[in-house]
Amino acid sequence: MELETLFVIGMFLTFGALLMTGFPVAWVLGGTAVIWTVVGVIAVENFGANLWFDYSSSMGLVPERIWKVVNSETLVALPMFIFMGIMLDQSGVAERLMNSMVKLFGAVRGGYAVTVIVIGVLLAATTGIIGASVVLLGMLSLPVMMENKYDKGFAVGTACATGTLGILIPPSIMLVLMADRLAVPEASVGDLFMGAFFPGLMLGAMYVTYAMVRPLLQPHMAPVPEGTEKVTWRIVWEVAKAVVPTAALILGVLGSIFAGIATPTEASGVGALGALILALMAGRLNMKVLNSSMQQTTRTAAFIFAIFLGATAFSVVLRGLGGDQVIEDALLGLPFGPYGIVLAILFGVFLLGFFLDWVEITLIILPLVAPVVQQLGFDLVWFTILFAMCLQTSFLTPPVGFALFYIKGVAPPEINVTDIYRGVIPFIIIQLVGLAIVFVVPEIATWLPSVAYD
Amino acid sequence: MTVSDKGSPPDVHVSVSDAGQFIHHHTEFPTTWLSQFMDGVISAIGKSASWLWVVVTGVIIYAVVGRYAFGAGSVTLEEVQWHLAGAGWLLGLGYTLVTDDHVRVDVIHERLSLKGQAWIELLGLLLLLLPFLGLAVYEMIPYAFSSWEQGETSQAPAGLPYRWILKSILAVSFILLILAALSRLLKVTALLFGFPKPIRIESGDNKKEDAS
Repeated sequence: MELETLFVIGMFLTFGALLMTGFPVAWVLGGTAVIWTVVGVIAVENFGANLWFDYSSSMGLVPERIWKVVNSETLVALPMFIFMGIMLDQSGVAERLMNSMVKLFGAVRGGYAVTVIVIGVLLAATTGIIGASVVLLGMLSLPVMMENKYDKGFAVGTACATGTLGILIPPSIMLVLMADRLAVPEASVGDLFMGAFFPGLMLGAMYVTYAMVRPLLQPHMAPVPEGTEKVTWRIVWEVAKAVVPTAALILGVLGSIFAGIATPTEASGVGALGALILALMAGRLNMKVLNSSMQQTTRTAAFIFAIFLGATAFSVVLRGLGGDQVIEDALLGLPFGPYGIVLAILFGVFLLGFFLDWVEITLIILPLVAPVVQQLGFDLVWFTILFAMCLQTSFLTPPVGFALFYIKGVAPPEINVTDIYRGVIPFIIIQLVGLAIVFVVPEIATWLPSVAYD
Repeated sequence: MTVSDKGSPPDVHVSVSDAGQFIHHHTEFPTTWLSQFMDGVISAIGKSASWLWVVVTGVIIYAVVGRYAFGAGSVTLEEVQWHLAGAGWLLGLGYTLVTDDHVRVDVIHERLSLKGQAWIELLGLLLLLLPFLGLAVYEMIPYAFSSWEQGETSQAPAGLPYRWILKSILAVSFILLILAALSRLLKVTALLFGFPKPIRIESGDNKKEDAS
């Protein structure tokens, strides 16, 4: 085995092992970079290793690379979308949607499950962080569904799966980060938002279909509540009051990007203002809320950017050690043909999603594999959306999917782990079907970006 | 649930901010007077920098209105946006370390005893974080200094002058990170070796006091 290959494997193993200690991911990445810089320099200088590696072209480049992260107009959208999400959340819209839509859909079989899915899709923006959305939807909906004797697995599976949709459905901060790392004009933030739009809606629609059809076949899954209020115009009006401003804000943000009227950064700023106004109108905005929301924005943005810093150091050292070439050769050397290679990458991403959050995978793995995929002649928007869907599926898959841990944390005690596993399996199947559809029919992802501006 | 007897689902106030307690498992170490002081300063800087998000929102709105009302995109305003946003998260890095909000893979971590976690923290700080930060600062100070010396400006015609300011903030933010890491180190040694003397067990979640 060549020395480069050995070093690259060593670097990833070091990272993986140190990660398991539970020390913050960002610093494990940075520390691994330093360790392997030392190893590399010693190998070259003291042992005359046949390696083209030196300090100044690896760790020495760190300030410049980090400066590039600071010096980015696109990345301004990241904290702004986080801020918008937190403000939207503070406006209490999730509760109002739940309270009013429950009355609207309450009499329908499976209605509460449908409500959860619709809220999850609508509020995807508030929930770019996977744990947050799962926890929010779980806390919001599980008590109501339990009270109405919904099947435990059905209830918890719906909340859990819907929570993971938030990372895919635009405006998703994951897609902002992915676009930044891809750094190619044909896969800008706008392109990825557009690319994810229909796949996200398709998955949402498939979830809703499942939530309505399964109880039809097995009525005990979701009993129709007794003595529900008749749906009056007042209820419809209440739902409209909760849905319309929020939907208008999200669609306005997306629409202005899709139509080429605004850059994603502009749209994120306008979205943040819109969310502030919604919170103000809901009477929820005061200095205390504003203050804590801004601080929460800082902490969320800082933890993502910290991983950015660590991953920058990691990547620059990995590249110094010849890692990019090693990975490329390894992928292109797979005996599967182009589509097989893409499938292999996606499967790898699926496995990595058990251990790593989307931030690390996006920052480290995506830039390594994207050039290979591009070289094979595939559309990067298509590939990135598949990548994103794959991650999302991974977070849902027992026994180690992240979403399962989060939902366990907020589920009522009578729901046990088996219920959760049982409940998410149908959604995993839906995810795999969705992935297969986008894989076979790339137009679902690529059509919208192709007809939009530029 | 019968709607007639309850009216509506229990009036829960659920928000993403509550989710934090389920997502992050904060390890609480006893603090020391020095750590408390350092944490206070770093948090104050981070919290003040948080106001930048409102400012950035304002600048973006101003730029958008300007573009539509006067038809002129402004490179200057674009640069102001990323300067301010950059300063915002950079100065928040140390603050986030103080509140222990940097994500961990805590599958094993959360099952360890407090002592076990403290040992991991001690070794991690000494062998991973501080070497990384030290090396980064060692490179960043000359990087910022040469920017100042050369009077580096934006390459765009209408761009901002004084690139050294943000490059200095970059270096400063890493120095703050080092201070935050040292403060945490003191807390860990206070627990493990009783030095420096711990003053009290930190009460509750850091975040709660941050909300004020």
